[in-house]
Amino acid sequence: MNAFQYATATSPASAHELIGDNGRYLAGGMDLLSELKEYIADPKILVNIRGLPALSKIEPGQQTWKIGANATISEIEDHAELKKTFPGLQQAAADVGSRQIRNSGTVGGNLAQHSRCWYYRHRDVHCLKKGGDLCYARHGDNRFHSLFTGCTCISPVPSNLAIALCALDASVTVAPRSGKEKQMTIPELYAAAWRDPEAHNSLEHGDLILGVQVPAQGRRSSYIQMSAKSEFDWALVSCAVAAKVEGNKLSQARVVLGWVSNIPYQVEAANKYLEGKELTESTANEAASMILADAHAHSDNGYKIPIAQTLIRRALLQLKA
Amino acid sequence: MVREEDAKEENSPRVWDEKPNLTKPKVTEKNDVDAAFGECAAVVEGTFSTPVQLHHALETHGNTISWTEEELTSWSSTQGISGVRHDLAQNLKVAESKVRVICEYMGGGFGAKFGPIVEGVLAAQLSKQAGAPVKLMLTRFDEALAVGNRPSSFQKIKLGAKADGTLHAFDLDSYGTAGIGSSGVSEGGGGGADFPAPYIYKIPNIRAKQSGVAINAGSARAFRAPGHPTASFGMESIVDELAVKMNIDPVEMRIKNDTSEIRRKEYALGAEKFGWKEKYKKPGSSPGPIKTGVGCAGATWGGGGRGTKAEAIINPDGTVEIRCGTQDLGTGSKTVIALIAADIFGLTPEQIVVRVGDTRYPASGGSGGSTTTASVSPAIYDVCTKALAELQTQAGVPDAKGENWAAACKKLGVNPLHVNGQWQEGLSSSGAGGVQFAEVEVDTETGFTKVKKITCIQDGGLIVSKLTCESQVNGGIIMGIGYALYEQRVMDRTSGVVLNPNFETYKITGLADVPEIEVVLLDMPERGVIGIGEPVTIPTASAVANAVANALGVRVPHLPMTPERVLEALGKYKPAPAAQPAAA
Repeated sequence: MNAFQYATATSPASAHELIGDNGRYLAGGMDLLSELKEYIADPKILVNIRGLPALSKIEPGQQTWKIGANATISEIEDHAELKKTFPGLQQAAADVGSRQIRNSGTVGGNLAQHSRCWYYRHRDVHCLKKGGDLCYARHGDNRFHSLFTGCTCISPVPSNLAIALCALDASVTVAPRSGKEKQMTIPELYAAAWRDPEAHNSLEHGDLILGVQVPAQGRRSSYIQMSAKSEFDWALVSCAVAAKVEGNKLSQARVVLGWVSNIPYQVEAANKYLEGKELTESTANEAASMILADAHAHSDNGYKIPIAQTLIRRALLQLKA
Repeated sequence: MVREEDAKEENSPRVWDEKPNLTKPKVTEKNDVDAAFGECAAVVEGTFSTPVQLHHALETHGNTISWTEEELTSWSSTQGISGVRHDLAQNLKVAESKVRVICEYMGGGFGAKFGPIVEGVLAAQLSKQAGAPVKLMLTRFDEALAVGNRPSSFQKIKLGAKADGTLHAFDLDSYGTAGIGSSGVSEGGGGGADFPAPYIYKIPNIRAKQSGVAINAGSARAFRAPGHPTASFGMESIVDELAVKMNIDPVEMRIKNDTSEIRRKEYALGAEKFGWKEKYKKPGSSPGPIKTGVGCAGATWGGGGRGTKAEAIINPDGTVEIRCGTQDLGTGSKTVIALIAADIFGLTPEQIVVRVGDTRYPASGGSGGSTTTASVSPAIYDVCTKALAELQTQAGVPDAKGENWAAACKKLGVNPLHVNGQWQEGLSSSGAGGVQFAEVEVDTETGFTKVKKITCIQDGGLIVSKLTCESQVNGGIIMGIGYALYEQRVMDRTSGVVLNPNFETYKITGLADVPEIEVVLLDMPERGVIGIGEPVTIPTASAVANAVANALGVRVPHLPMTPERVLEALGKYKPAPAAQPAAA
């Protein structure tokens, strides 16, 4: 790890001031510290944003829930009312890393974390995402990589929460260094990673995530991930679903896949197809086929397709309960 | 050249200019195999592979060394303090009398921590130049590169049996890599790519051809039961295939063909404990998408004892100190010593101060080959028996044990009693047989395998300490599950780096992956002490693989059995041809 300066922000404005041109925000540190230790990131200053006032709350609401960026993943996992209202979000949180990681990691950090691609994370490999000129994964071992990409980089977005929040139509409040606070949808938050191989998300340097708003519209939700190990492992594929279910009829359905694309992956046609449909195994299978129709398997990741097919079906059928 | 399949081709770039990557095969032949297959009632063939398994003891390799005018002291994470002392003295041209090596506790070695190695010599030289103690511990990243591994294997096997199920003919063609040194002699005793074949079973007609292939990767080192888990996976898989083809119960097949009386007894006992008869069903016959299956496999190992010296010090105040220059790898050697001494003196283990891991104590030997308990226990027995006799003579007390202890010791006056002893023939032996049974659940829609239960029946002769012995068994099984389902070194063909130099992507068995483990130790005191550290990891992956095949009705012939490979075996996914490496 290289030397760096350290400062504590007392307000979003002070965070913006301290971050400068070469700083990084430090919240739970789960992602950033490993990048520092592997010499992947080399910031001049770490700006601790953990103490920013009023960013740690989880506030239930009739219309909208507000979750502060500094709420920990454990706090999402443990929130009894949240579990009742957004079971998919609670499950996505519970499946993050280990309990120790969830105790430290924050909502903002989980959303903004960087690629886990083993080429990107390797200290001796200068890949496309790090400003090199080759996506080694395309030519090498891509068993953990994407089936859907809009650019040369095929590393998938690693955030569990993004997948669940995307299904729930959540939006993110971001404070840029200059100008007013902006609201971004989850697709907007990751759109840049679809088109730009060097981007992990659409945040500009100095953008500070303040919190997340989740609309509470009486939709049910679910989240399932499949990993090689039982616990404490990244997903091979994950799937989040949200929909209203009335008399076994679906409406406002949204199905989102994780670990198969640079973005939380969804197919609008599949969401539309589900509108007004009976929640049955064949409906679920049909939606899965529509979502996976354009999957492009590389040399080692084609096995993700049957897993995704299964998870979409299972996640949708879980809404019945 | 980082892939065995690429490197073995004749026109591949050479790892060593002077020789081809693939070695000439080591050939073992017995009788006319081709003719013998003609005499068989059933013949099966299969191709199996096992990965390079990395040495990843939780304590990484390394040491702290202080090299002054008076002495070179090394606090080393090692399996053999005497070996480190000898090699440091040789390498650095220091008198052995001025080198002291200390290792009282350490966090695992598994065969990869013998000698000072590069990190020892380097730390010593740095210490001399700096005029200060130097601590040099490798990182997890370094461990993935340069501290050794279990060689891979690609095994093509043909096996035939007579109509009654008696194994009759065996043909093996295999290659594997022990890394960059693979085309030379095997490193570290048993670190080569070859393995015992045919494993366990005595077959009258044999042909085995085994080659090593050099690649540009870290070298192998001895790894918990070198060669055996690899050999066991191929052999026990094909034996199961043959049993299924001949409609013979896999346990019956083994009892029929295994010449070890102990293992036959273990299979019978294990089948009963495990509930084999109720659990074993026709392969692939369990209903629903999540299928269950059971499997079994056996292991053999030496594990005998050898020369160890020890010293007992009995103080006038009744306190006892036992000194032995062995080292405790985390297996509980100190506990074993305390238990034996306490038993002989009629004291409690807490009353015995055990000191190990210092070259100033009477020498033992390296802790390898599952020999420590069988080497140390007889020496402790000997020294304590002699010390008790000596105490009784000096104190003039006919029975100094237990409640008479304090009074007898008091009679020593001012000076403590020092007694030396050593390993004696007849108190230990070798040849540990073990069998394991596995029960698994496999999700045929996602390829996810969960091990539900392992039953282990293990022979270890006289069991000195049930607690630490069972702990060894648990550890061996947990490591075996890693070999079965998770562990594999992955290297990149373009850049040549190890892609998974961490526990994030070099996956090891986690707490949530550990099944119910049932351990049955056959206590046979008449055989003396036998080590069990290695045999208990040998059959786990084979038993799990057989259970997965039983669940699915098709075999996953490659370790680790990842979701991807399970789906491939089920025909739910076809791997695309490997991408061409990018131009350098």
